[in-house]
Amino acid sequence: MKNISLIVVSIILFSACKQKEIVPKEWIFSNTIQLVGVNPIGLAEVNGKLWLSDGDHNRLVQINAQGKMEAFIDSLDRPMHIDALDGVLYIPQYGSDTIAKFANGALTFVALKDSLDAPAAISVFQQEKAIADFYNNRILYYNGTDWISFGKEGKAEGEFYYPTDVQITKDKIWVADAYNNRIQVFDKEGKFLQMMGQSQKMNAATGILVTENEVFITDFENNRVLIFDLAGNLKQELSKNIEKATDVLIMNEKLHVINYRNGQINIFEMAEKIVEVN
Amino acid sequence: MKHTIIVTLIIGMMTMFSANAQQNMDKFMVQVDGLGCPFCAFGLEKKFKEFKGIKTVKIDIETGDFSFSYPAEKALSLADVEKQVENAGYTPITTKIERANGKVEVSKATSLSEKTKGTVTKNVMVAGNCGMCEARISKAAKSVAGVSEISWNKDTKMMKVSFDVEITTLSEIEMAIAKSGHDTKNQKAQTATYNDLPPCCLYERMAK
Repeated sequence: MKNISLIVVSIILFSACKQKEIVPKEWIFSNTIQLVGVNPIGLAEVNGKLWLSDGDHNRLVQINAQGKMEAFIDSLDRPMHIDALDGVLYIPQYGSDTIAKFANGALTFVALKDSLDAPAAISVFQQEKAIADFYNNRILYYNGTDWISFGKEGKAEGEFYYPTDVQITKDKIWVADAYNNRIQVFDKEGKFLQMMGQSQKMNAATGILVTENEVFITDFENNRVLIFDLAGNLKQELSKNIEKATDVLIMNEKLHVINYRNGQINIFEMAEKIVEVN
Repeated sequence: MKHTIIVTLIIGMMTMFSANAQQNMDKFMVQVDGLGCPFCAFGLEKKFKEFKGIKTVKIDIETGDFSFSYPAEKALSLADVEKQVENAGYTPITTKIERANGKVEVSKATSLSEKTKGTVTKNVMVAGNCGMCEARISKAAKSVAGVSEISWNKDTKMMKVSFDVEITTLSEIEMAIAKSGHDTKNQKAQTATYNDLPPCCLYERMAK
């Protein structure tokens, strides 16, 4: 009798353990912030505040959690994918081929040793900077000492067809190769390393975000955000409320996706997903 | 009193110069397809800034309406404008110029033929991606004499075309479309023409 009881208890415990199996976390839609009179293209966090580039209206706006505008920088010339570091906002001005810096209420400019043709994005990381030079189909990269340039128009590895966003990480440079509909990855000498997303039938891969474990890319015309692991394997596809998305940002552990056309910020949160297994 | 007169004179002269400047500007209105993406729209705007002296540039991404004014003495032509739109990677649908002297110029729109007794309607698959593709496909089909109706659905990729069988054939219409860079069920576009399409129009090629 004692043995039978033990067997029954063991079976129950075994079953219970199996039922609690958890699969990797997923991004789940949380809520929408509706902006008024803003068509966001890029976004960045400065001291816990969210800034958006509003290219249509030649300005940057800083909003609160409800989407209400609290501050703005105007008289810009088509600001695109912005970035921020140590309280400084970096603003690529597509219309004037300049990179502006905004800090302590003053606007200055990043000194460049080469001319740009429609800078679509900037990334700043420690002493490094990278610029997506849209019409020149290249990336300009500053390693803290020197500027280098890599890429040319084309479809082969290491070539671009209108790059619209760039991000520097610890040892790599990631490029949203917009109209080649893919992501390309380079080392810090500009050597091609890796390509991803090319089989996902994207149509205008406009905005990129790379975290420790994931790569996010906005698929502008297909109204979705694709999420890959760092090896390029597709993990998840987000589409709820996404319409002409141009960029993404993680702030307070929440994923913010901006919709250019309807001025929405859609927020997704990471949640555990429990599945029943036999 | 003396100062008031001087200020009034200066304001008057400035107003006169401003009015003259306005009078000496030609106004351009271009309907451009495929400006849904801000990178594209701002790119078009940027390329037109190469025309030194351009003023009052307005661009509506939603409608594709693009307008600006330009000094009349430079006599910018319809062809110059349409070429610059194409240089920026887009397709001009219609272009209108209101000259400073009151003359109006409008680009020649390709018109459809009248429906006749011999008109038939056919459906055929045509590859493409977007609104710009639709405009290009439609323009190519309309260029064939005898075509009286054309529509293309970017989701289904099906083209519905009505034409007079006494004047043309479906094969001729498909050839005209292929020449514009779009594969059809029975005609494949030249690779070079396909490669010249704007980035957002680079559809997945149809298998032969």
